[in-house]
Amino acid sequence: MKKILIQGLLIIVLFISTLLILQQIDWMTIFKVQKLKTETEEKLGDLFWETFQNEEDENTNQFVINTLDSIVTMICLENEIDKESIKIHILNKDEINAFALPDGHLVVYSGLILASDNQEELSGVICHEIAHIELNHVMKKLMKEVGLSVLISMTTGEGGAAIAKETAKLLSSSAFDRSLEKEADIKAVDYLIQAGIDPKPFADFLFRLSLDDNEIMKYLSWTSTHPDTQERAEYIIEYSQPSTSNYKRPISSETWELLKIQFAE
Amino acid sequence: MIDIKEFAYKPGEHEAEKASSSYLMSLIALIAGLPLPIINLIATLAFYVGNRKGTYFVRWHCTQALLSQFSMLMINSYGFWWTISIIFTAQPVTNNYIAYILAVLIFNLTELIATIYTAIQTRKGIHVEWWFYGSLTSLICKSEL
Repeated sequence: MKKILIQGLLIIVLFISTLLILQQIDWMTIFKVQKLKTETEEKLGDLFWETFQNEEDENTNQFVINTLDSIVTMICLENEIDKESIKIHILNKDEINAFALPDGHLVVYSGLILASDNQEELSGVICHEIAHIELNHVMKKLMKEVGLSVLISMTTGEGGAAIAKETAKLLSSSAFDRSLEKEADIKAVDYLIQAGIDPKPFADFLFRLSLDDNEIMKYLSWTSTHPDTQERAEYIIEYSQPSTSNYKRPISSETWELLKIQFAE
Repeated sequence: MIDIKEFAYKPGEHEAEKASSSYLMSLIALIAGLPLPIINLIATLAFYVGNRKGTYFVRWHCTQALLSQFSMLMINSYGFWWTISIIFTAQPVTNNYIAYILAVLIFNLTELIATIYTAIQTRKGIHVEWWFYGSLTSLICKSEL
């Protein structure tokens, strides 16, 4: 009996040792897993963005693009995020919405810019979406909802564009898991504080949108899909205290006003 | 790891064929049941149940085949569900995952080679005892029913 137990134990030890030895080898590099992941993400990002570009009206106004780019650049610079990894796009649409696509594509609807009372509110939403990108939430969500096999077939097969069209709504009109949303909110506050932008307006924005304002609700997409807006505003306020009172603005007040005028017209 | 030993008696032609089939059963089920790791265990178990009242030589080899499948089932199942979680959920492919799958492949391949070898030898009426599994089988499987 003792002999059997020792033999059984030795088999377990043999398996564990094999595993431990194999774990010492960098298989991720050997199998080029990271490169493959990056390439897949790039292709998916392009596929999804092309879908939105074809279906919606893209805003190509250089002033609008530059203004939003300035906000993103400031947030990225202060938070040591590679600015080149964030690709901002503006779509002319009344919906109050912003969302992230794979490979750092960040889409902002003109409706969101119009609904923002100040640049800090818009910066807060942009930070939230950058957080989703940086925390790899977009790919996590796609893998969970669509599955890895479909994602890979999208980038290798011929029907990629058709699947992208079908699944695009998943990224633009549905929220992430509650825990991922909270994680992105907290990260967004970190980004705002690090960039010297007041995080309170971001919470105010959520509070305002949580109120049953019919005119706003008509166009609301960003928060109607994000659960418990009021609760989110509360923990943002709680998390962002105490912080400095010497806040900066990503763009000048004049530029912000000009931006609003662009869309109000 | 694999020992050729003298059995209690010289098995007959029919016994050798049945005993050999218990190993072949797991091989066929392995091909048919991929990627579900439980299939080969079910097939071996079904064969074992069908022959549990057979001769000592047949029972002995059915038991050894079944026992070897149990441990493979455990490591294969873990690898199987890990793979499923990567394909269908947000689990990432990690270095640990690749190492585990390779370790599972090495062990499965070793078991496969051992199974083929044992099936051939048993068919010739040669008694083959696996390391650990052979001793365990002798402990469980008695000559008298």
